[in-house]
Amino acid sequence: MRDDKPPLGPIESGQLPLVKAPDSIWSSILASLDEDRAPVRRGTHWWVLAAAFSLASAVVLWLTIRPKPPSWEVSRLDGAPSVGSRRLTDSGRIAVGEWLQTDASSRARIGIGEIGSVEVEPNSRVRLLAAKPNEHRLALDRGEISAVVTAPPRLFFVDTPASTAVDLGCAYKMKTDESGSGLLSVTAGWVALEWKGRESLVPAGASCRTRQGDGPGTPYFADASEAFRDALAAFDFQKGGSDSLRVVRGEARVRDTLTLWHLLSRVGRDERVRLLDRMVELMPLPQGVSREKALDLDADTLGRWRQELAWKW
Amino acid sequence: MEMVRTMKYVSLLLALSLSALGADFMLAIGNPAAASIPSTVSPTGGGPVPTKVSKDALFAVRPEGCANPANARITGTAEGLVDGTRQSAALRLLPGSIPGVYVVSREGPPQGVWVVKLTGVCGGAKAGALVPVARGGFQRESAKFYPRPITEAEVEATLKSLSGGAR
Repeated sequence: MRDDKPPLGPIESGQLPLVKAPDSIWSSILASLDEDRAPVRRGTHWWVLAAAFSLASAVVLWLTIRPKPPSWEVSRLDGAPSVGSRRLTDSGRIAVGEWLQTDASSRARIGIGEIGSVEVEPNSRVRLLAAKPNEHRLALDRGEISAVVTAPPRLFFVDTPASTAVDLGCAYKMKTDESGSGLLSVTAGWVALEWKGRESLVPAGASCRTRQGDGPGTPYFADASEAFRDALAAFDFQKGGSDSLRVVRGEARVRDTLTLWHLLSRVGRDERVRLLDRMVELMPLPQGVSREKALDLDADTLGRWRQELAWKW
Repeated sequence: MEMVRTMKYVSLLLALSLSALGADFMLAIGNPAAASIPSTVSPTGGGPVPTKVSKDALFAVRPEGCANPANARITGTAEGLVDGTRQSAALRLLPGSIPGVYVVSREGPPQGVWVVKLTGVCGGAKAGALVPVARGGFQRESAKFYPRPITEAEVEATLKSLSGGAR
């Protein structure tokens, strides 16, 4: 190869001489390539693998031990109910915030933690609101549920548009229609319906209507006369007033003192006197229950009176 | 005259003694919910805490006319006629939230006719109750109460009456 030095001064186009690179340059380039390759093969590769493995292990561990969102077990009874956007084929879970929906041919059972269960009837829509040790809460938007609870009272709640059903150790059915109005029927124990400070205590064998905007009505026994039930509904939701109460008093039997007792605190003094007089006709005031204190709605007096009346309900 | 006066005093003392022993002692029954009445829904409210009421609960029972209801003892069995055969079944008497009050529950065959035979003891006094039961609960109007234990003949007669005389 010629060892020509480049010409001094401007080079005319086409005049740049072609010169071959010396062998020493190629040798030095090859040597430097070998040096660069060796460190990667020996150290860096293992470090990357180790780091990747550690990261993967940490992710798996986190996925395993992380607290799962609270949820209840759901099982299909008939048809194909849905939880959220998922069709339930056999069993699954409903998480807090999710909706369970049944169509005309489907039913489902929800396990209320460890304390009971709720059966959801066709054409119903319920949502899990809370699943905590001291609060188990569902919302019934529409449709019907049957609940059986074996826990101490005030652990299970069902919110409807017209009231909240508070379990006091019981079994009951609750339904709500599209207008938000509903009906509670208790088959064991007690259920309280509350709404904006209004409270109705419903024992086994009794029912209570609810109306959106009015809250819970007055509890009554299902075997009361039709005239009694109609007059009560008129008083509760249609401003039936004294006329309705006259029918209620006239139709009342001994066990209908459940209704009369609740009405005492929902009427004025004059009506209260008439109600109390009718109650005493049906069942004499027990010892220790003062007429005047009852008319004054003394809480202890009313509580003791109810305790005795309940033996006839 | 003196004898008559003495007799009156003795009778009065005897009556008072028997009364103290629970001579007016009887059993009373009611809705199972009567055994555990909630005072209020509010967690801060007073009153007895309702106990759990089983779906199998038939009725509540309590002693009346007993000086110390908490010390009264109440026991019972279910007596029935199933396909003409006389049967007895155990009862569960669970204490309610009020001393002396119990909830009577039974798990037994749904067929046949059944009565619950109860015996209560208060001091030296005894009382009995015979309560017909069915799937829908207890038959309050047909229940019978005595200031003494129920006899087997009374059980038989009640079962025969409930089954329409068929056996």
